[in-house]
Amino acid sequence: MGVVVALTMMLAVASLFVGISDVSLSTLFGAGAHDRAMRVLLVSRIPRTAAILLAGSALAIAGLVMQIIVRNRFVEPSTAGTTESASLGFLVVTIFAPGWPLMAKMLVAAVFAFAGTALFLRILRFVPLRDVMLVPLVGIMLGGVIGAVTTFFAYRFDLLPSVLAWTIGDFSGVLRGRYELLWFGLAATILAYVAADRFTVAGLGRDVTTSLGLNYKAVMTFGLALVAVISSVTLVSVGSIPFLGLIVPNVVSLMVGDNMRITVPWVAALGALFVLLCDIVGRIVRYPYEIPIGVTVGVVGSAIFLYLLLRARGSRG
Amino acid sequence: MRSGRAAIVIAILALLALVSVAAFLTLGARGSWSFVLSFRGKRLLALVLVAYAIAVSTVLFQTVTNNRILTPSIMGFDALYVLVQTSVVFFLGTQMLVLADPHLRFLAEVVVMAGFAWILFRWLFLGEERSLHLLVLVGIVFGIFFRSISTFMQRILDPNAFQVLQDALFASFQNVDTTLLGVSFALVAMASLVLWGVSHTFDVLTLGRAQAVSLGVDYRRTVMTILTMVAVLVAVSTALVGPITFFGLLVASLARALLGDSLHRHVLPAAVLLAIVALVGGQTVLERVFSFDTALSIIVEFLGGLVFIILIMRGAAR
Amino acid sequence: MFKTAGGLVALATVLLLAPSASAQPIEIEHAQGTTTLDAVPQSVMVTDWAAFDNLDALGIEVIEGVPASATPPYLAGRVPADAQAIGSLQEPDIEGIAAADPDLVIVASRSRTSYPMLSGIAPTIDLTVDNHDLIAGVEANITRLGAIFDREERAGELVAALDAKVEEARAAAEGKGTGLVIVTNAGRLGVYGPGSRVAWIYDALGVPSVFDDVDDSDHGGDAISFEYLLETNPDWLFVVDRDAGVGGEGAARALLDNDLIHETGFWQNDRIIYLDPAAAYVTMHGYSGLMVLLDQVIAGYEDAS
Repeated sequence: MGVVVALTMMLAVASLFVGISDVSLSTLFGAGAHDRAMRVLLVSRIPRTAAILLAGSALAIAGLVMQIIVRNRFVEPSTAGTTESASLGFLVVTIFAPGWPLMAKMLVAAVFAFAGTALFLRILRFVPLRDVMLVPLVGIMLGGVIGAVTTFFAYRFDLLPSVLAWTIGDFSGVLRGRYELLWFGLAATILAYVAADRFTVAGLGRDVTTSLGLNYKAVMTFGLALVAVISSVTLVSVGSIPFLGLIVPNVVSLMVGDNMRITVPWVAALGALFVLLCDIVGRIVRYPYEIPIGVTVGVVGSAIFLYLLLRARGSRG
Repeated sequence: MRSGRAAIVIAILALLALVSVAAFLTLGARGSWSFVLSFRGKRLLALVLVAYAIAVSTVLFQTVTNNRILTPSIMGFDALYVLVQTSVVFFLGTQMLVLADPHLRFLAEVVVMAGFAWILFRWLFLGEERSLHLLVLVGIVFGIFFRSISTFMQRILDPNAFQVLQDALFASFQNVDTTLLGVSFALVAMASLVLWGVSHTFDVLTLGRAQAVSLGVDYRRTVMTILTMVAVLVAVSTALVGPITFFGLLVASLARALLGDSLHRHVLPAAVLLAIVALVGGQTVLERVFSFDTALSIIVEFLGGLVFIILIMRGAAR
Repeated sequence: MFKTAGGLVALATVLLLAPSASAQPIEIEHAQGTTTLDAVPQSVMVTDWAAFDNLDALGIEVIEGVPASATPPYLAGRVPADAQAIGSLQEPDIEGIAAADPDLVIVASRSRTSYPMLSGIAPTIDLTVDNHDLIAGVEANITRLGAIFDREERAGELVAALDAKVEEARAAAEGKGTGLVIVTNAGRLGVYGPGSRVAWIYDALGVPSVFDDVDDSDHGGDAISFEYLLETNPDWLFVVDRDAGVGGEGAARALLDNDLIHETGFWQNDRIIYLDPAAAYVTMHGYSGLMVLLDQVIAGYEDAS
């Protein structure tokens, strides 16, 4: 844990010094110091780094919460229709109420995300849960169905380029005043930590939960609300980052097991670290242009995951 | 009794397929009949070819991999198609996509896709036994991997080139390049002949590897033959019209649900007929109801996913 | 008697030949080959808005089919009320075109893949323009259309007007410093380089690019950060606002209105030129579209100085 946190801190500091403007210790405090470096640091670098840390940890947590309440390792917002629903909500509000403030749009997206995930859980009730791979499959199907509706309307309203743009995660537009919604993500992460035991219990099923004196429905609703808020907040602020909620909790589970009280900090730290690393890479590889985080995470994340799968196989055989 | 049900189901599907075909050829025709019939006839042929390729490849893929959930497209095939197309534009430029000899490009795409699929299948299905969810996961991860690389390349491309590419990435049945029909037909016929040669093993393979081997099937060779032909079929269909992710799953599952049995001499024709009904009928509806405004793939994606979810729910509730 | 008969025959011959004498078959070379037209087309269907724009500018009134969607606002009033909708930009309604049996079909950029199919139905030309030499490409298309519809004179006027406008814009831009064209889309910034659909601003108008490496021609629409704008600090910023139709007018301005951009010279001196998004994205290969954009460039330069 200490290593992960230390590494994250180090990279976070490094992230402050990666970019096009000349921001370095000497331009900030040294003999050649000038206002611009400080301004860039305050307006652009610090907000961007904060946004990365917030989004990375929150999305990983969203994946963890989903995996526990659905009791399936392979669900995360993008394999449960959540991301697609948020996207549809954002499209709908963009078409019918383009003038609304971002906060209102975000709320609409969150409501859609919540409804979509609730629909997913409702469908799951009719699915034999013992079949592990059916669950993410149903989620992906549902995501496909909702995504098709989104594509349909985007196509009709000639908004396909915009939809493509906002569904690819990208931190390049983050500035002071344009990412603050992501602090909701931190709030959600803290709430997830506080409620960790309840989620763990709810994960055992309705009967166990009720017999332990917990309101099953309330815990599930709360979990769903957390996931919906995290998904829509990140979608609206920086776009979707696929896969994160799937690989980070799975890696953590390999490392420290499944007690949520222990895993929450790990998942949050590792999620932040992973996104941070990918974003720094995306900023450097094609300097001065950027590669959006959604793309880097897709490539790097899937490669890591394939490696993990292969390694697990090798050690077994 | 069972055979009787299968015969009735197949007969009804055949009738529906005929109705779809007739509707497709005649509904809303304007102008000269000779043009309409020859124009629609070619497209019909393409749709039927695609329906056949997708249905057969999905059913046999599920036979070989011994499951009802995995399909070639879920194993990342549609994403691979996107990647192949993107790479062509990326490395050779837009001109290539528009002007290069379509036969050559098409054959190259088929070879690349079949080659890749062969390697992937071999690695996944001929080694040790693997759990199904691992395979699903690997498939999904491959899909995301391919898609991410494509997106990466698309980000670098000129937006004009991207526009052209985006058109190529929508499954399109309106602009099927009918010059490719001949090559496609030949490839599909070749694959069908090879598959015909091993068709006696299909039902045995469903029993699992150990059973099949004990019944005298040269397992390794048979499975590799089938998988290679599946790769060719899928390559043909995706290269011909573009990616349609859930279509194969949809028709294969529906066919089994309707028939109530899994014998290949029933499932294969039923799935093919269902695919024809869905594609040809779907295209007819699309042209009349949405007047060309929406790509069929969007609707197939929507309905395919929806029907499948309902299917799972009903199957479990029963 | 014979004389009269001979005279009649001669007269008849002249009468018969007269129409065809003024309408000799012409061969049109275009992006996908050569198409021969026997006479001036009396009905034409276009699958591309830029091509429609050019026909409209030439005053050609025999347009019987236009794309069903994505009509640029500035062209909306120019579309003949009885024109048939012939499918989307990407997928023309081939049967509809065949049923109407037009004398000429025009495809370009997005619809060019339909050429093989359409050319089997009716004489078809492909007016796709190479962005590396956009102005010349547009002018060649205007000239081509002028030849086809026997409007060479009008075509000559349009080309001259376009040349003059380009010259005017060039003069307005001269000595004004560097420029950069960006696109804003869903709150993100992309940069358009040489070789993109707006490369003519660099090439034809002689606006020096802020790119050091001009050979970097494949890179258009690359994702950039606000810091990039701050550091490259072009003297002039050209903005294609893709969100204008979505987030309302001024979406790009709101996006740029931030602490980093306030530092830049182009913001402080109000040297930001917003380009008509439909013209810059859909009809940059059309005469009127290009004129709209050129006027915006000229007005932008003049307002600021």
